[in-house]
Amino acid sequence: MKKMFFKMMGVLGIWVLLSPFAMAAGVQYQVRVDGLACPYCAYGIEKQFKQIYGVEKIDIDLEKGIVFVDAADDVELSEDRVKTLINDSGFTYRSITREPR
Amino acid sequence: MPHHYQKPYSLASALVLGFLLGAGSLPAWSAPMTFNTALPVAEGEFITRIQGVRRQSGDDPSSADRDLTVNALVTVLGYGATPKLALFGVLPYLDKELRLTNEGQRVRRSKEGFGDLRLFGRYTVFQQDQPGRTFRLAPFAGIEAPTGEDDASDALGRLPPPFQLGSGSWDLFGGLVLTHQTLDDQIDSQLSVRFNNEANGFEAGDEARWDLSWQHRVWPRDLKGGVPGFLYGVLESNLVYQGKNEVNGIKDVNSGGTTLFLAPGLQYVTKRWIAETAIQLPVIQDLNGTALENDYIFRAGIRFNF
Repeated sequence: MKKMFFKMMGVLGIWVLLSPFAMAAGVQYQVRVDGLACPYCAYGIEKQFKQIYGVEKIDIDLEKGIVFVDAADDVELSEDRVKTLINDSGFTYRSITREPR
Repeated sequence: MPHHYQKPYSLASALVLGFLLGAGSLPAWSAPMTFNTALPVAEGEFITRIQGVRRQSGDDPSSADRDLTVNALVTVLGYGATPKLALFGVLPYLDKELRLTNEGQRVRRSKEGFGDLRLFGRYTVFQQDQPGRTFRLAPFAGIEAPTGEDDASDALGRLPPPFQLGSGSWDLFGGLVLTHQTLDDQIDSQLSVRFNNEANGFEAGDEARWDLSWQHRVWPRDLKGGVPGFLYGVLESNLVYQGKNEVNGIKDVNSGGTTLFLAPGLQYVTKRWIAETAIQLPVIQDLNGTALENDYIFRAGIRFNF
Protein backbone atom coordinates (compact mmCIF):
# COMPACT_ATOMS: atom_id res chain seq x y z
CA MET A 1 0.00 0.00 0.00
CA LYS A 2 2.84 2.31 0.92
CA LYS A 3 4.63 1.46 -2.37
CA MET A 4 1.47 2.14 -4.32
CA PHE A 5 1.13 5.53 -2.61
CA PHE A 6 4.70 6.52 -3.50
CA LYS A 7 4.21 5.33 -7.09
CA MET A 8 1.08 7.45 -7.41
CA MET A 9 2.80 10.44 -5.87
CA GLY A 10 5.72 9.94 -8.24
CA VAL A 11 3.45 9.88 -11.30
CA LEU A 12 1.62 12.92 -10.03
CA GLY A 13 4.89 14.77 -9.41
CA ILE A 14 6.14 14.03 -12.92
CA TRP A 15 2.81 15.17 -14.39
CA VAL A 16 2.93 18.40 -12.38
CA LEU A 17 6.53 19.01 -13.43
CA LEU A 18 5.86 18.38 -17.10
CA SER A 19 2.49 20.08 -17.40
CA PRO A 20 3.88 23.61 -17.93
CA PHE A 21 5.86 22.29 -20.87
CA ALA A 22 2.81 20.52 -22.22
CA MET A 23 0.78 23.74 -21.89
CA ALA A 24 3.50 25.73 -23.59
CA ALA A 25 3.56 23.46 -26.58
CA GLY A 26 2.86 25.21 -29.86
CA VAL A 27 4.55 27.59 -32.18
CA GLN A 28 5.27 31.28 -32.21
CA TYR A 29 5.35 33.28 -35.42
CA GLN A 30 7.19 36.57 -35.45
CA VAL A 31 5.91 38.82 -38.20
CA ARG A 32 7.75 42.01 -39.05
CA VAL A 33 5.44 44.79 -40.18
CA ASP A 34 6.36 48.12 -41.74
CA GLY A 35 4.29 51.27 -41.28
CA LEU A 36 3.03 50.49 -37.79
CA ALA A 37 3.62 53.58 -35.65
CA CYS A 38 0.75 54.10 -33.22
CA PRO A 39 -1.13 52.06 -30.63
CA TYR A 40 -4.55 52.60 -32.20
CA CYS A 41 -3.41 51.19 -35.54
CA ALA A 42 -2.14 47.99 -33.90
CA TYR A 43 -5.65 46.74 -33.21
CA GLY A 44 -6.40 46.32 -36.92
CA ILE A 45 -3.58 43.79 -37.19
CA GLU A 46 -4.57 42.01 -34.00
CA LYS A 47 -8.11 41.66 -35.25
CA GLN A 48 -7.01 40.08 -38.51
CA PHE A 49 -4.91 37.42 -36.77
CA LYS A 50 -7.60 36.66 -34.21
CA GLN A 51 -9.81 35.40 -37.01
CA ILE A 52 -7.50 32.45 -37.59
CA TYR A 53 -8.59 29.24 -35.91
CA GLY A 54 -5.90 27.98 -33.55
CA VAL A 55 -4.28 31.34 -32.87
CA GLU A 56 -4.04 31.59 -29.09
CA LYS A 57 -2.34 34.86 -28.34
CA ILE A 58 -1.13 37.98 -30.14
CA ASP A 59 1.42 40.41 -28.80
CA ILE A 60 2.79 43.41 -30.62
CA ASP A 61 6.05 45.22 -30.07
CA LEU A 62 5.31 48.61 -31.51
CA GLU A 63 8.86 49.89 -31.30
CA LYS A 64 10.31 46.93 -33.20
CA GLY A 65 7.35 46.51 -35.51
CA ILE A 66 6.95 42.83 -34.66
CA VAL A 67 3.73 40.90 -34.23
CA PHE A 68 4.11 37.78 -32.08
CA VAL A 69 1.50 35.18 -32.89
CA ASP A 70 1.24 32.17 -30.58
CA ALA A 71 -0.60 29.29 -32.17
CA ALA A 72 -1.27 25.60 -31.77
CA ASP A 73 1.20 23.16 -33.36
CA ASP A 74 -1.11 22.30 -36.21
CA VAL A 75 -1.64 25.90 -37.28
CA GLU A 76 0.38 26.64 -40.37
CA LEU A 77 0.64 30.29 -41.32
CA SER A 78 2.01 30.54 -44.80
CA GLU A 79 3.89 33.63 -45.90
CA ASP A 80 1.24 34.41 -48.49
CA ARG A 81 -1.53 34.25 -45.94
CA VAL A 82 0.30 36.48 -43.49
CA LYS A 83 1.14 38.90 -46.25
CA THR A 84 -2.56 39.14 -47.11
CA LEU A 85 -3.53 39.67 -43.46
CA ILE A 86 -1.03 42.47 -43.02
CA ASN A 87 -2.09 44.03 -46.31
CA ASP A 88 -5.76 43.85 -45.25
CA SER A 89 -4.80 45.71 -42.10
CA GLY A 90 -3.43 48.51 -44.23
CA PHE A 91 0.28 47.87 -43.54
CA THR A 92 3.25 46.34 -45.32
CA TYR A 93 4.55 42.84 -44.66
CA ARG A 94 8.31 42.47 -44.26
CA SER A 95 9.18 38.96 -43.01
CA ILE A 96 8.08 36.02 -40.90
CA THR A 97 9.87 33.46 -38.71
CA ARG A 98 8.48 30.38 -37.00
CA GLU A 99 9.79 28.94 -33.76
CA PRO A 100 8.57 26.33 -31.29
CA ARG A 101 7.40 27.83 -28.03
CA MET B 1 -39.07 90.94 -43.18
CA PRO B 2 -38.35 91.71 -39.52
CA HIS B 3 -34.99 93.15 -38.74
CA HIS B 4 -33.86 90.19 -36.67
CA TYR B 5 -34.28 87.95 -39.73
CA GLN B 6 -31.69 89.85 -41.68
CA LYS B 7 -28.90 89.88 -39.18
CA PRO B 8 -28.46 86.15 -38.63
CA TYR B 9 -27.74 85.55 -42.31
CA SER B 10 -24.35 87.06 -41.78
CA LEU B 11 -23.66 84.84 -38.83
CA ALA B 12 -22.97 81.92 -41.06
CA SER B 13 -20.69 83.98 -43.20
CA ALA B 14 -17.62 83.51 -41.08
CA LEU B 15 -17.82 79.78 -41.28
CA VAL B 16 -20.66 77.45 -42.07
CA LEU B 17 -21.47 75.62 -38.88
CA GLY B 18 -21.91 72.25 -40.42
CA PHE B 19 -18.48 72.22 -41.99
CA LEU B 20 -16.76 73.40 -38.86
CA LEU B 21 -18.58 71.13 -36.51
CA GLY B 22 -18.92 68.12 -38.74
CA ALA B 23 -16.80 67.75 -41.83
CA GLY B 24 -14.00 69.51 -40.10
CA SER B 25 -13.96 66.78 -37.50
CA LEU B 26 -13.99 63.66 -39.56
CA PRO B 27 -11.21 61.44 -38.39
CA ALA B 28 -11.40 58.50 -36.06
CA TRP B 29 -7.78 57.38 -35.86
CA SER B 30 -5.02 58.63 -33.68
CA ALA B 31 -5.10 61.71 -35.79
CA PRO B 32 -5.97 65.37 -35.90
CA MET B 33 -8.99 66.52 -33.95
CA THR B 34 -10.20 69.17 -36.36
CA PHE B 35 -9.82 67.39 -39.71
CA ASN B 36 -8.97 64.16 -41.48
CA THR B 37 -6.00 61.79 -41.73
CA ALA B 38 -4.66 59.26 -44.20
CA LEU B 39 -4.04 56.50 -41.67
CA PRO B 40 -5.58 53.13 -42.51
CA VAL B 41 -8.77 51.43 -41.41
CA ALA B 42 -8.23 47.68 -41.57
CA GLU B 43 -10.51 45.76 -43.89
CA GLY B 44 -13.65 44.82 -42.01
CA GLU B 45 -12.80 47.06 -39.07
CA PHE B 46 -15.22 49.60 -37.64
CA ILE B 47 -14.11 52.75 -35.92
CA THR B 48 -16.29 55.27 -34.21
CA ARG B 49 -15.84 58.61 -32.64
CA ILE B 50 -18.04 60.81 -30.53
CA GLN B 51 -16.95 64.38 -30.12
CA GLY B 52 -18.56 67.15 -28.13
CA VAL B 53 -18.07 70.59 -29.67
CA ARG B 54 -18.90 74.01 -28.27
CA ARG B 55 -18.62 77.02 -30.48
CA GLN B 56 -18.95 80.49 -29.01
CA SER B 57 -19.26 83.70 -31.01
CA GLY B 58 -20.01 86.90 -29.22
CA ASP B 59 -17.80 89.72 -30.45
CA ASP B 60 -20.40 91.35 -32.65
CA PRO B 61 -19.37 94.44 -34.64
CA SER B 62 -23.02 95.33 -35.27
CA SER B 63 -25.53 97.01 -32.95
CA ALA B 64 -27.50 93.78 -32.66
CA ASP B 65 -24.95 92.55 -30.09
CA ARG B 66 -25.37 88.99 -31.28
CA ASP B 67 -24.23 86.16 -29.09
CA LEU B 68 -24.16 82.74 -30.69
CA THR B 69 -23.61 79.43 -28.93
CA VAL B 70 -23.61 76.10 -30.74
CA ASN B 71 -23.22 72.86 -28.85
CA ALA B 72 -22.85 69.75 -30.94
CA LEU B 73 -22.37 66.06 -30.43
CA VAL B 74 -20.78 64.72 -33.59
CA THR B 75 -20.77 60.98 -34.18
CA VAL B 76 -18.51 59.44 -36.81
CA LEU B 77 -18.70 55.83 -37.96
CA GLY B 78 -16.00 54.49 -40.26
CA TYR B 79 -15.63 51.14 -42.00
CA GLY B 80 -12.71 49.61 -43.84
CA ALA B 81 -14.26 48.38 -47.08
CA THR B 82 -10.86 47.40 -48.48
CA PRO B 83 -7.35 48.02 -47.15
CA LYS B 84 -7.28 51.25 -49.16
CA LEU B 85 -10.92 52.34 -49.24
CA ALA B 86 -12.60 53.55 -46.06
CA LEU B 87 -16.21 54.74 -45.86
CA PHE B 88 -17.53 57.18 -43.29
CA GLY B 89 -20.75 58.62 -42.01
CA VAL B 90 -20.91 61.73 -39.84
CA LEU B 91 -24.05 62.79 -38.01
CA PRO B 92 -24.15 65.84 -35.73
CA TYR B 93 -26.69 66.55 -33.03
CA LEU B 94 -26.94 70.30 -32.70
CA ASP B 95 -28.14 72.73 -30.10
CA LYS B 96 -28.04 76.28 -31.44
CA GLU B 97 -28.82 79.39 -29.47
CA LEU B 98 -28.73 82.98 -30.65
CA ARG B 99 -29.26 86.05 -28.47
CA LEU B 100 -29.53 89.44 -30.09
CA THR B 101 -30.95 92.86 -29.50
CA ASN B 102 -33.85 93.72 -31.77
CA GLU B 103 -35.65 97.06 -31.53
CA GLY B 104 -34.28 97.59 -28.05
CA GLN B 105 -35.25 94.18 -26.75
CA ARG B 106 -33.10 91.16 -26.09
CA VAL B 107 -34.33 88.23 -28.16
CA ARG B 108 -33.44 84.56 -27.80
CA ARG B 109 -33.83 82.05 -30.61
CA SER B 110 -32.83 78.43 -30.44
CA LYS B 111 -33.18 75.05 -32.08
CA GLU B 112 -32.05 71.54 -31.22
CA GLY B 113 -31.94 68.28 -33.17
CA PHE B 114 -30.02 66.22 -35.70
CA GLY B 115 -28.20 68.06 -38.46
CA ASP B 116 -27.23 67.00 -41.95
CA LEU B 117 -25.71 63.56 -42.54
CA ARG B 118 -22.34 63.55 -44.20
CA LEU B 119 -21.17 60.50 -46.18
CA PHE B 120 -17.79 60.18 -47.77
CA GLY B 121 -15.11 57.81 -48.95
CA ARG B 122 -11.37 58.03 -48.71
CA TYR B 123 -8.95 56.10 -50.90
CA THR B 124 -5.23 55.68 -50.25
CA VAL B 125 -3.41 56.36 -53.51
CA PHE B 126 0.12 56.38 -52.14
CA GLN B 127 1.63 54.50 -49.24
CA GLN B 128 5.25 54.18 -48.22
CA ASP B 129 5.88 52.09 -45.13
CA GLN B 130 9.11 51.60 -43.24
CA PRO B 131 9.80 50.15 -39.81
CA GLY B 132 8.03 52.42 -37.31
CA ARG B 133 6.95 55.00 -39.87
CA THR B 134 4.53 55.57 -42.70
CA PHE B 135 3.71 58.17 -45.32
CA ARG B 136 0.33 58.18 -47.01
CA LEU B 137 -1.66 60.26 -49.44
CA ALA B 138 -5.41 59.91 -49.72
CA PRO B 139 -8.03 61.88 -51.61
CA PHE B 140 -11.55 61.89 -50.25
CA ALA B 141 -14.94 62.99 -51.52
CA GLY B 142 -18.42 63.02 -50.16
CA ILE B 143 -21.86 64.47 -49.99
CA GLU B 144 -23.89 66.13 -47.31
CA ALA B 145 -27.49 65.00 -47.33
CA PRO B 146 -30.20 67.39 -46.11
CA THR B 147 -31.35 65.24 -43.21
CA GLY B 148 -31.58 68.10 -40.73
CA GLU B 149 -34.74 70.15 -40.38
CA ASP B 150 -34.61 73.20 -42.64
CA ASP B 151 -37.97 74.85 -42.08
CA ALA B 152 -38.12 75.16 -38.29
CA SER B 153 -39.90 78.10 -36.67
CA ASP B 154 -40.14 79.63 -33.26
CA ALA B 155 -42.41 82.27 -31.70
CA LEU B 156 -40.72 84.91 -33.84
CA GLY B 157 -41.33 83.08 -37.10
CA ARG B 158 -39.24 80.95 -39.40
CA LEU B 159 -35.63 80.62 -38.31
CA PRO B 160 -33.12 82.05 -40.79
CA PRO B 161 -31.27 79.43 -42.86
CA PRO B 162 -27.99 79.45 -40.94
CA PHE B 163 -29.86 78.59 -37.76
CA GLN B 164 -31.81 75.77 -39.21
CA LEU B 165 -30.43 72.37 -38.21
CA GLY B 166 -30.01 71.40 -41.86
CA SER B 167 -29.12 73.30 -45.00
CA GLY B 168 -31.89 71.78 -47.09
CA SER B 169 -29.44 71.26 -49.94
CA TRP B 170 -27.24 68.45 -51.21
CA ASP B 171 -23.70 69.74 -50.85
CA LEU B 172 -20.46 68.28 -52.13
CA PHE B 173 -17.04 68.28 -50.56
CA GLY B 174 -13.67 66.72 -51.23
CA GLY B 175 -9.98 67.09 -50.76
CA LEU B 176 -6.61 65.52 -50.30
CA VAL B 177 -4.96 64.55 -47.04
CA LEU B 178 -1.39 63.45 -46.38
CA THR B 179 -0.03 61.87 -43.25
CA HIS B 180 3.52 61.25 -42.11
CA GLN B 181 3.67 59.23 -38.94
CA THR B 182 6.59 57.95 -36.90
CA LEU B 183 6.69 56.48 -33.42
CA ASP B 184 7.52 59.93 -32.05
CA ASP B 185 5.55 62.35 -34.22
CA GLN B 186 2.73 62.65 -36.67
CA ILE B 187 2.10 65.36 -39.23
CA ASP B 188 -1.13 65.64 -41.19
CA SER B 189 -2.04 68.18 -43.81
CA GLN B 190 -5.27 68.55 -45.70
CA LEU B 191 -6.54 70.68 -48.55
CA SER B 192 -10.27 70.61 -49.05
CA VAL B 193 -13.15 72.39 -50.71
CA ARG B 194 -16.86 72.41 -50.19
CA PHE B 195 -19.48 73.40 -52.74
CA ASN B 196 -22.77 74.50 -51.22
CA ASN B 197 -26.02 74.52 -53.14
CA GLU B 198 -29.14 76.62 -52.89
CA ALA B 199 -32.16 75.68 -50.84
CA ASN B 200 -35.07 77.81 -49.64
CA GLY B 201 -33.61 80.87 -51.37
CA PHE B 202 -30.35 80.64 -49.44
CA GLU B 203 -26.97 79.42 -50.59
CA ALA B 204 -24.03 79.42 -48.19
CA GLY B 205 -20.74 80.52 -49.70
CA ASP B 206 -18.41 77.84 -50.98
CA GLU B 207 -15.44 77.04 -48.78
CA ALA B 208 -11.79 76.17 -49.07
CA ARG B 209 -9.54 75.23 -46.20
CA TRP B 210 -6.01 74.16 -45.43
CA ASP B 211 -5.42 72.25 -42.24
CA LEU B 212 -2.21 71.26 -40.53
CA SER B 213 -1.58 69.12 -37.48
CA TRP B 214 1.50 68.15 -35.53
CA GLN B 215 1.33 65.52 -32.83
CA HIS B 216 4.29 64.76 -30.59
CA ARG B 217 4.52 61.87 -28.18
CA VAL B 218 5.22 63.33 -24.75
CA TRP B 219 4.71 60.12 -22.78
CA PRO B 220 6.14 57.53 -22.52
CA ARG B 221 9.47 59.14 -23.30
CA ASP B 222 11.00 55.76 -24.10
CA LEU B 223 9.34 52.72 -25.59
CA LYS B 224 9.98 49.43 -23.83
CA GLY B 225 8.09 46.86 -25.83
CA GLY B 226 4.41 46.06 -26.13
CA VAL B 227 1.76 48.57 -27.12
CA PRO B 228 1.76 51.26 -24.43
CA GLY B 229 -0.70 54.12 -24.38
CA PHE B 230 0.69 57.27 -25.98
CA LEU B 231 0.08 60.77 -24.68
CA TYR B 232 0.40 63.23 -27.54
CA GLY B 233 0.72 66.97 -27.37
CA VAL B 234 -1.14 68.36 -30.38
CA LEU B 235 -1.00 71.62 -32.26
CA GLU B 236 -3.31 72.18 -35.20
CA SER B 237 -4.08 75.07 -37.50
CA ASN B 238 -7.05 75.65 -39.78
CA LEU B 239 -7.05 78.27 -42.49
CA VAL B 240 -10.62 78.62 -43.67
CA TYR B 241 -11.94 80.78 -46.49
CA GLN B 242 -15.63 81.12 -47.20
CA GLY B 243 -17.25 82.98 -50.06
CA LYS B 244 -20.24 85.25 -49.59
CA ASN B 245 -23.65 83.77 -49.00
CA GLU B 246 -26.45 84.40 -51.45
CA VAL B 247 -29.95 85.29 -50.35
CA ASN B 248 -32.46 85.02 -53.17
CA GLY B 249 -29.61 85.28 -55.66
CA ILE B 250 -28.07 88.40 -54.07
CA LYS B 251 -24.67 88.30 -52.42
CA ASP B 252 -24.69 89.08 -48.71
CA VAL B 253 -21.92 91.61 -48.14
CA ASN B 254 -21.93 90.79 -44.45
CA SER B 255 -20.84 87.24 -45.01
CA GLY B 256 -17.75 85.28 -45.92
CA GLY B 257 -14.12 85.89 -45.17
CA THR B 258 -10.99 84.23 -43.92
CA THR B 259 -10.20 82.81 -40.49
CA LEU B 260 -7.07 81.20 -39.14
CA PHE B 261 -7.43 79.03 -36.09
CA LEU B 262 -4.71 77.62 -33.87
CA ALA B 263 -5.69 74.63 -31.78
CA PRO B 264 -3.52 73.28 -28.98
CA GLY B 265 -4.66 70.00 -27.51
CA LEU B 266 -3.92 66.70 -25.83
CA GLN B 267 -4.65 63.19 -26.98
CA TYR B 268 -4.26 59.88 -25.14
CA VAL B 269 -4.09 56.94 -27.50
CA THR B 270 -4.41 53.26 -26.62
CA LYS B 271 -4.98 50.19 -28.79
CA ARG B 272 -8.77 50.28 -28.44
CA TRP B 273 -9.69 53.86 -27.54
CA ILE B 274 -8.57 57.46 -27.69
CA ALA B 275 -9.49 60.38 -25.46
CA GLU B 276 -8.78 63.89 -26.68
CA THR B 277 -9.42 67.55 -26.23
CA ALA B 278 -8.46 70.75 -28.03
CA ILE B 279 -9.51 74.35 -28.25
CA GLN B 280 -9.56 76.24 -31.54
CA LEU B 281 -8.65 79.86 -31.09
CA PRO B 282 -9.07 82.33 -33.95
CA VAL B 283 -5.79 84.20 -34.38
CA ILE B 284 -6.77 85.94 -37.62
CA GLN B 285 -10.33 86.83 -38.62
CA ASP B 286 -10.67 88.83 -41.80
CA LEU B 287 -14.40 88.78 -42.30
CA ASN B 288 -16.67 90.77 -44.57
CA GLY B 289 -18.94 93.49 -43.20
CA THR B 290 -20.58 92.67 -39.91
CA ALA B 291 -20.01 88.95 -40.11
CA LEU B 292 -19.86 87.54 -36.60
CA GLU B 293 -16.44 86.51 -35.38
CA ASN B 294 -15.60 83.34 -33.51
CA ASP B 295 -14.49 83.47 -29.88
CA TYR B 296 -13.43 79.83 -29.62
CA ILE B 297 -14.37 76.28 -30.51
CA PHE B 298 -13.83 73.70 -27.78
CA ARG B 299 -13.64 70.01 -28.60
CA ALA B 300 -13.52 66.91 -26.41
CA GLY B 301 -14.14 63.41 -27.55
CA ILE B 302 -13.49 59.72 -27.49
CA ARG B 303 -12.87 57.16 -30.23
CA PHE B 304 -13.21 53.39 -30.30
CA ASN B 305 -12.39 50.66 -32.74
CA PHE B 306 -14.14 47.32 -32.92
